[in-house]
Amino acid sequence: MTVIEVEDLRKNYGNTRAVDGVSFTVERGETFGVLGHNGAGKTTTVECLVGLRKPDSGTIRVLGENPARRRRALAQRTGVQLQQGELPDRLRVAEAMRLFAAFYDRPDDWRAVLERWGLGPIANKAFGDLSGGQQQRLKLAMALVGGPELVVLDELTTGLDPVARRETWTLIGDLKASGTTAVLVSHFMDEAEELCDRVAVFGNGRIIALGSPRELIGRTGTGSLEEAYFALLGEGR
Amino acid sequence: MKAFAHLSATELRLLARDPGSLFFMVAFPSMLLMLNGGSNQLEIRVPGYLAMILAIGGITALPATLATYRERKVLRRLATTPVSPFVLLTAQIVAQLSMALAGAAIVMGVGMIGFGVDPPAHPAWLALAFVLSALMCYAIGFVIAAVVPRARTAELIGLLVMFPMIFLAGAAIPRQGMPETMHRIGDYLPLTHAVTALRESWSDAPTLPPLLILSGIIVLGTALAAALFRWE
Repeated sequence: MTVIEVEDLRKNYGNTRAVDGVSFTVERGETFGVLGHNGAGKTTTVECLVGLRKPDSGTIRVLGENPARRRRALAQRTGVQLQQGELPDRLRVAEAMRLFAAFYDRPDDWRAVLERWGLGPIANKAFGDLSGGQQQRLKLAMALVGGPELVVLDELTTGLDPVARRETWTLIGDLKASGTTAVLVSHFMDEAEELCDRVAVFGNGRIIALGSPRELIGRTGTGSLEEAYFALLGEGR
Repeated sequence: MKAFAHLSATELRLLARDPGSLFFMVAFPSMLLMLNGGSNQLEIRVPGYLAMILAIGGITALPATLATYRERKVLRRLATTPVSPFVLLTAQIVAQLSMALAGAAIVMGVGMIGFGVDPPAHPAWLALAFVLSALMCYAIGFVIAAVVPRARTAELIGLLVMFPMIFLAGAAIPRQGMPETMHRIGDYLPLTHAVTALRESWSDAPTLPPLLILSGIIVLGTALAAALFRWE
């Protein structure tokens, strides 16, 4: 079953073509990577997927709904972690989790999510006192507490130390195993290679390559997704 | 409803953790009352303090909080949840009103028990005047949050609007004894009508005009804020 369908999506900011004719689909249970440099159109595409922005043209279907019209119904079934988006400094970790759990009709047990993401020891710490990595982990946990069918994670492991990154990969692996569909936006090619079933490589508002990491590596005759990425970028120019 | 209850409780908790709000809304009015404990017009001062509490919370703390939420993309994060942004605004009002009620209860208690202030003559009217005064302050706060882009500026503008107003409106100190010009400026300030409404229902006969003026400001301010407010 198809969870996300994007067809010929376009979005301009003034004279800048942020997204310039993007099409892709994501199947249920798939982990789909959205890769590319800054300004390639990744974040705008993702913001259109979750209904934060309205496309200029093109069609989007997420879990059978039009995000621009049915943002709230969709939000009930989707967990989102944004690149930007903080919490009040004085809000504590456990309070944030309990609060976000209350937003959803059928949330997961927030205490269990808190423990699973290693936030138990800092449950009473205020958001403003957390390290960058701890804030990131809390934001991820908040994206998952609603028991979503689809998660959209922008810059999943930015700001995490190598150990925390690996831990996060393991948790995303668990998420995959549970059948949750995931869209990961990332700069990190090793991460995408490890976690994603398929990736879309964005460049200048378009998708310049789409396929499994293995396919892209094979197509470019390189040894890793990172090398494949640079080879594809070179072709795209 | 569950989301609204949780959000309101959370906002109240955050407000109570803000030392500035806690001090100026809850402790400061009673301190002022004690300093003026020897005065024989406490029935005039106490309702003024109620207006002061509302102005401090609604005109200073409220826009600062909203502008911070916008600047730090808290509103944006919330927009990706099933919660409507209006639920957040309503939760802010509930939190502000609860905090103001706590401050009001304390200053009224200190006044009546500690200094023998006569209890309010028209409690129902006082409650009505309190709620309308609160909503009026929140409407002004929303307008500030709507027109001022940054959090730091919102806080500053809030202070610049609130501070002169609590004096010129006769909330922090009675207007008797003010020079003629100051008195006349006060006549045009929204908070003056809140002070009048609260004072009338405390000790005189409540009249309709101040309540109507408050209602008018609420409608105008809310419409203006709704037209100008940007979520990001």
